[in-house]
Amino acid sequence: MQFFGGSEISPSPPAPTAAGNNAHMMYVFNRNGVCLLYREWNRPLWTLNAQQDHKLMFGLLFSLKSLTAKMDPTSAEKGNLGVPQLPGQGCSFHGFRTNTYKLSFMETPSGIKIILVTHPKTGDLRESLKYIYNLYVEYVVKNPLYTPGSPVRSDLFNTTLDQYVRGIG
Amino acid sequence: MAREVSESCVDSLLTEMVSSYCNRFYANKPELAARRIEAIGYQVGHQLSERYTMERPGFSDHLEAIKFICKDLWSELFKKQIDNLKTNRRGTFVLQDNKFRWLAHVSIDPSIDGSSNEDNSGTSTENKAAQAMSMHLYFPCGIIRGALSNLGITCAVSADISNLPACSFVVRIKG
Repeated sequence: MQFFGGSEISPSPPAPTAAGNNAHMMYVFNRNGVCLLYREWNRPLWTLNAQQDHKLMFGLLFSLKSLTAKMDPTSAEKGNLGVPQLPGQGCSFHGFRTNTYKLSFMETPSGIKIILVTHPKTGDLRESLKYIYNLYVEYVVKNPLYTPGSPVRSDLFNTTLDQYVRGIG
Repeated sequence: MAREVSESCVDSLLTEMVSSYCNRFYANKPELAARRIEAIGYQVGHQLSERYTMERPGFSDHLEAIKFICKDLWSELFKKQIDNLKTNRRGTFVLQDNKFRWLAHVSIDPSIDGSSNEDNSGTSTENKAAQAMSMHLYFPCGIIRGALSNLGITCAVSADISNLPACSFVVRIKG
């Protein structure tokens, strides 16, 4: 599956509606659970401190992925619950919705997890998450001054990301 | 048919080259690392100009050679031409690229913002970032110098990144 080509960013998928900023926050984790990036646009309520919040989010998704794979009625092979899975193994979980927010999730084969929390009426964000991953590759991975595994601090990435997220319906 | 190479591969290779020279081979000796990187660029530029001037008759003067760099060499390397060429008509040329491709993905840590604790630690981190960035410019400077030397022009090339993502290369012709 081809995600990206060349160094020109491919045009972003058309946003369903362009109205203000519907996204609350975004997390990017690597395969070791290090929170590479946390962006917040609209978060009225904090319950835990930042460290615990990130650990909770990572743990939540790790468990959800495992559970959804185990509960898959269409898959024949079932390993033991709790055994860590390779990205792409088993069914792929991509989000959940509550009455107050929607959480969209994408994991790449390299173990990078992108989590975007938005307004509950948001549609399917899989294309958007792929585009954000494309931005990550272009402005973070390809930045000669970036060391992999360290938190992302890139002006270029932040600005382009903010601009893009503003347009997500 | 033209043979092509993946741009991501070239970008990664260049990043790793600069990183190897600065952090491993000549760690703590940035001037030596810079000279080695520039020398690599010189060789590359020398060979590229041989390749890209194969079908041309010859250059009548320095300006023609510089225009070759701005138009033909830059198009072959970066798929675009130099955006702005200035000269003082006394052997100095300034080649300005408004969106230099090899620096398009570079971004400095925004947490460096003069919030220093004591004794200029803020400015020194900013200087380190600027120095890290300038290391990546020695290679293209070398390419320009090598290309011109193969056309018979001895010069010195330096780069100016006070205005990112625009990048200016200053060519000073000797003699």
